[in-house]
Amino acid sequence: MTSYADTRDVVGRPAAWWGMLILIASESTLFGCFIGSYYYLRFRSATWPPHGIPEPKLVVPLILLAVLLTTVVPMRLAAKAAATGRLAATRLFLALALVVQSGYFAYEVHDFSDQLHGFDITRDAYSSIYYTLLGADHAHVLLGVLFNVWLLGKLTRGFTRYRIHATRAIALYWYAVSVLTIVVYGVLLSARA
Amino acid sequence: MAIATPPNPAAAERMERLELIWESRPGILGWLTTTDHKRIGLLYFWTTLALFGAGGAEALLIRTQLAQPNQHVVSPQTFDELFTMHGITMIFFFIIPMTTGAFGNYLLPLLLGARDMAFPRMNALSYWIFLASAVFIYTSLFIGKAPDAGWFNYVPLASKKYDPGHNIDFYCLGIIFNSIASTLTAGQFIVTILKSRAPGMSLNRMPLFCYAMLAASFGLLFALPSLSADTIFLFLDRNVGTHFFDPSHGGSTLLWQHLFWIFGHPEVYILIVPAFGIATSIIPAFTQRRLVAFPLVAIAELLVVFIGFGVWAHHMYTVGMPTVSMVFFAAATAMVIIPSTIQVFAWCMSFVTGLPTFRTPLLFIAGFIFMFVTGGLTGIMFVAIPFDQQVTDTYFVIAHFHYIIFGAAVFPIFGGMYYWFPKVTGKLYFERPGQISFWLIFLGTNLLFFPMHIVGLLGMTRRVYTYPSGIGWTAYNLAETIGGFVTLGGILVLLGNLAVSYFRGPPSGPDPWRGPTLEWTTSSPPPEYDFAVIPRVTSAYPNWDPADREADRLKLADGVLMLERGHEQPEVTPVDGRLARVAHMPHESPWPAVLALALALLFTMLLIDRWGTAGIMGIVCLLALVGWHMQEPEEE
Amino acid sequence: MKGPRRDRRFAFLVLGVVPLAGCGGSQDSLAPHSHQARDIANLFWWMMGGAWIGLALVVGLLVWSYKRRKRRGFGDDVEGDKPGEKRSWYAVLGLGIAMPIVVISTLFVISDLFVIKTTQAPASTTTRLTVKVIGHQWWWEVRYPGTNAVTANELHIPVRTPVRVEVTTADVIHSFWVPELNKKVDTIPGQTNVVELDADQPGRYRGQCAEFCGLQHAHMAMYVFADEPSAFRRWLSREEKPAQSPSGGLAADGERLFLNGPCSSCHAIRGTDADGFVGPDLTHVASRTTLAAVTIPNDRDSLRNWIVDSQHVKPGNLMPNFSVSGHKLDALVAYLEGLK
Repeated sequence: MTSYADTRDVVGRPAAWWGMLILIASESTLFGCFIGSYYYLRFRSATWPPHGIPEPKLVVPLILLAVLLTTVVPMRLAAKAAATGRLAATRLFLALALVVQSGYFAYEVHDFSDQLHGFDITRDAYSSIYYTLLGADHAHVLLGVLFNVWLLGKLTRGFTRYRIHATRAIALYWYAVSVLTIVVYGVLLSARA
Repeated sequence: MAIATPPNPAAAERMERLELIWESRPGILGWLTTTDHKRIGLLYFWTTLALFGAGGAEALLIRTQLAQPNQHVVSPQTFDELFTMHGITMIFFFIIPMTTGAFGNYLLPLLLGARDMAFPRMNALSYWIFLASAVFIYTSLFIGKAPDAGWFNYVPLASKKYDPGHNIDFYCLGIIFNSIASTLTAGQFIVTILKSRAPGMSLNRMPLFCYAMLAASFGLLFALPSLSADTIFLFLDRNVGTHFFDPSHGGSTLLWQHLFWIFGHPEVYILIVPAFGIATSIIPAFTQRRLVAFPLVAIAELLVVFIGFGVWAHHMYTVGMPTVSMVFFAAATAMVIIPSTIQVFAWCMSFVTGLPTFRTPLLFIAGFIFMFVTGGLTGIMFVAIPFDQQVTDTYFVIAHFHYIIFGAAVFPIFGGMYYWFPKVTGKLYFERPGQISFWLIFLGTNLLFFPMHIVGLLGMTRRVYTYPSGIGWTAYNLAETIGGFVTLGGILVLLGNLAVSYFRGPPSGPDPWRGPTLEWTTSSPPPEYDFAVIPRVTSAYPNWDPADREADRLKLADGVLMLERGHEQPEVTPVDGRLARVAHMPHESPWPAVLALALALLFTMLLIDRWGTAGIMGIVCLLALVGWHMQEPEEE
Repeated sequence: MKGPRRDRRFAFLVLGVVPLAGCGGSQDSLAPHSHQARDIANLFWWMMGGAWIGLALVVGLLVWSYKRRKRRGFGDDVEGDKPGEKRSWYAVLGLGIAMPIVVISTLFVISDLFVIKTTQAPASTTTRLTVKVIGHQWWWEVRYPGTNAVTANELHIPVRTPVRVEVTTADVIHSFWVPELNKKVDTIPGQTNVVELDADQPGRYRGQCAEFCGLQHAHMAMYVFADEPSAFRRWLSREEKPAQSPSGGLAADGERLFLNGPCSSCHAIRGTDADGFVGPDLTHVASRTTLAAVTIPNDRDSLRNWIVDSQHVKPGNLMPNFSVSGHKLDALVAYLEGLK
C-alpha cells in the first residue's frame, strides 16, 4: 500500500494548489470591483446609508465573523494532517470546520432575508450594492461548504495523492474566504450616516 | 535536428507503447471527450475562423450600407445590431480565442517541451464553454434580438427603459458566459507556463511566445472581473430592479463606463500581446538570428499589460472629469507607449542585422510592423487631451484601433497560420499564392482604414447608419468599402491556398524553416504525446543547439525520461525549471462537454427569467463537477 | 399671415445673409473658427508631421533590411553574438526608449499642461452669455437662461464673444460637438457639462451628436449661427416673444387643428395652450432653416412630408405618422409657416 507519510513538497507546490490560487486571484479581483463600486457610489452620496435605511448593526455581525475566522484553525490542521498522511485526524478537523461553517452560513441566510424585510434591494443604489456585496460573500462561503462536503465524501474511501492535494487547496480557499469576509464586513459595517 | 525517426528497434517499441497510452478514442466521441491540447487547439481554430467570417460579414454589410449616403441596404435597427455584434464577435469570439485558444493551446506545450497543459480537462471545458457562449449570443442575431447598444453598451441607452427587449440581456449573459472560458484559459496558461516545462528551461530560456501568453493571461485574469461586475450590475438593474446606474436613486451612469474601461483598456493589450508572441516566433526563424534584445522584449511584453491597467479613463475624456484626473491618465498613457516602442525597434533591428527571407510569414510580420506603427502613432496623438476631445467618437478613432487590431493582431494570426501550417499538417503551403494573399490583404486594409482618418477629421461620427450627401464624406466611404472587398478577396486567397495546400502540398518534414524552438524537433504533425523524449534545454533557441538534440537522440535509444508508464509529464519549479515531480495527467472525459451544456442551460434560464429552473441547472452543474472529479489520476 | 412687416424683412436679411457670410455647413475639425479649435488643429498638424517622420523611420529600416537581405559574411554559426549585436542594442535603447521619452514628454507638456488651458470649460465669470442645451432622442433643446427664449436644433450666438454652453440630457448620453468651434462634451444624466464657444467669424457651423444614442443617432445634427451682436440681439428678442395668433384664413384653421389635435400633447407653442415637452418647441419653427435636427430643409414640401410620414424620413423617431391630408394638411402647414 502506498505510504503518504510525508507528501510535504520537497520541491514546489502541486499544480492543484496553484490552480486554486488563480481562482482566488480572479474572485478577489471581482470583489475588488464590487468594493470599488461601493466607495464610488458612497462618495457621490451626501448621506450614507441614505435616509430611511438603518446603519448596519455591529455586534452580531462581528461575533459571527469571529466564529467564521476560528474555522481557519481546524482547516489548517486538516491540511497539515493530510500532508503527513494522518487520515483520521484530517477527517476529524474537516468535520469540525464544516459544522461551524454550516451553522454560520445558515444563520447568515436567515439574517439576510430578515434585512430584506427591513429595506429591499430595489430601494436605491445603497441597497443594491449592499446586498450584492454581502450576497456574493455568502455565496463564496456556501461554495466552501460544498467543497468540504465533497472532500469528506471523497475521504471516506481513504487517501490518494490527489485527495491530499485537494485538502491543501481547499484549506487555501478557506483562508482566502476568511480574509475576504473580514474585508467585506469592514466595508459594509463602516457605513455610518 | 529532428527526433522524429527512431534510430533503433527498442526505441521504436517504446514509442509504440507511448502511442497506445496517449491515443484518442476514434470518431466523434474522440473529439467530444478529447483533452489533447492539439485537438482542442484545432477545435478552437475552426470555430473562431467561422466566427471571423460572421464578424467579417457584419463589417461588409456595414460598409455596403455606408458606401453611399442615404442608402437603405439595412434598417437602422439592423445596422445597430450589426455594428454591435461586429465588435463583440471580433473581440470576444475571434481574436482572443484564436490567439489564446487556437495558437496558445496548440503551441504552448510544444514550445515548453511538455506533453499537455497543466489541467487538460479544464482546457476542454474552456472550449466547450466558448462554443456554447458563441451559440448563445448568435442565437440573438438569428431571432432579431441581438445586442444593439454598441460593444461598450453604455447606460442609460442599455437600461431597461431605453432598450426593453432581450437584446441587452443577451449581451450581459453572453459576455459573462464567454468570460468564464477566457478566465479558465488564463489560469490554465499561467500554471502551465510556470509549472509544465521541460527540465532545464529556466525562465530566461523560455520562448517569447510564452512570455506573451503569460502577459495576456495575467491581463485576462485581472481585467475580466471588472466586466463581469459591470454586466452583473446591469443585469440586476434590468431584471431585478436595482439602481446601480440610476442617478435618480443614488446610482451613477459613469460607474458603467469606469468598470467597463477598467476591463476594456487592458483588453486591447490582451488582444495584441499574443500576436506579438507570434511575431517574435516568426522573426528569428525567418531572419535566422536570435531576436535583438530578448530580455528587454520579454519584460516589455509583461510591462505593457501591467501599465495598461492604469490608463482606462483616457476613453472618457469627454464626460466632464476634472482636468487633473485627465492629465494623470494622459501621463500614464504616455508611459504605456514605451514598452511598445522598445519592441518595434527590437523587431526592426532583428530584420536589419539578420538575414531576412521575405517569404509569406515574414511578409505578414513586416506588414504587421507597418500597421502597428501607423496605429501606434495615432495612439500617441491621443496623449494630447484636447485633440482626443475633438476626434474621439469619430472615424479617426475607428481608423486608429483598426490599424492596431487588424494590423497588430490579425496580420500575425495570418502570418502564424502560414508559419505553423507545415507543423500542423505536415505539408508545405504554396508560396506564390501566399504572397498574393499578403499583398491583397495589405493593400485592401490600407484602402479600407486609411481614409477613415480623414473622414473622421472631417467630422464623420461613429455608429451612424447613414450620412448626408454634399458634406464631403462620400468619396472616402466608397473607397473604404472597396478596400473592404479587396481585403475579403485576399482572405479568400489565403484560405483557398491553405485548403489546396492541405491536399496537394509537398511534405514538409519536421523542420522546413530551421526554426529556433522545440516544436520543430518533433514530427509534423506531432504525435499525440508531442515528444517521445522530454527534450534537454540549455538555451532559449533549443532547436539551434545541435549538442542537445544529439543528446535527446541518445536518450531515446536508452529510454531515459520517456515517461511512458502512463500519461506522464514533468512538473518543474517556476523560476529555475528544475524537475519537481512527475505528474499524471487525466485523459479523455465526457464531463467538460456535459458541464458546458449544463451551464448553457443555466444561462438560457436566466435569459428568459426562469429563476427557479436556473437554480436547478446550477445544482446540475455542481453534480457535473462531482462526476468530473470521480476520475482521479493514476497513482505513482 | 400677420406680424410686423419690418420684422419679416429683418428675418429675411438674417436668414439670407448669414449662410452667405463665411463657411457653410461643414464639420471639419481642420477648418477652425475659434481659437480653441485652431489650437487643436495646429496641435494636430505638428503631431502628423512627427508621425510621418516616425513611420518613415520604421519603413526605412524594413526597406533597408530588404536591400541587405542577400549580403554575404553571415555565418552559419547561430551560437554567440551575431554581427551588429551591440549596434542593435544601442538602436533599441536610443530609438525605442530615449527618443520616445523625449518626444512624448514634449507632446504631453505642450498639450496637457498648456493647450488644455484654452480648451477646457470656462468659469461663468469669463463668459458673457450662457446657453443651455438639453439632448433628447433625437433632437437638441436650446434655452437662453434669463430669457423666455426656447428653440431647437439651431442655436444662435454672438460672434467674437465667449459663450458658455451648459449641456445635459433628458434621456440617454448624447454628445454636443461643433468641431469648427471646440471639442465635444458628453451629456450625462444627472450632470451638467460645460463647453465654451467663441466663433471668430460670422457664419453657420454644423455640429452633430457624437455619442451613440439609439436608432436616429445619425440624424441628430445641429447648426450654430454666429451673428453680429446686434443681429443676435434682434434674433433673441424675437425668439423670446410668444407666437402671434393668426387672425383668420387657412392659418387660423391650422392653429385650431394644432391645439385640438395630438400635436399640442408633444409640442409647445408659447402664447397658446400647447405645452407639450416630448418634442421641440415650435413657437418660432418657421425661423429655422432645417427640420428634424438638420435632417431635412425647412420648406413646404419637406414639412408636409414630415407631418405625414416622419417615420420614413427618420425611422424610429418618437413622432408617429399622421394621416392628415387635403385642406387640413394645408391649414396646419400654413399655420406652422407663420410661426416665424
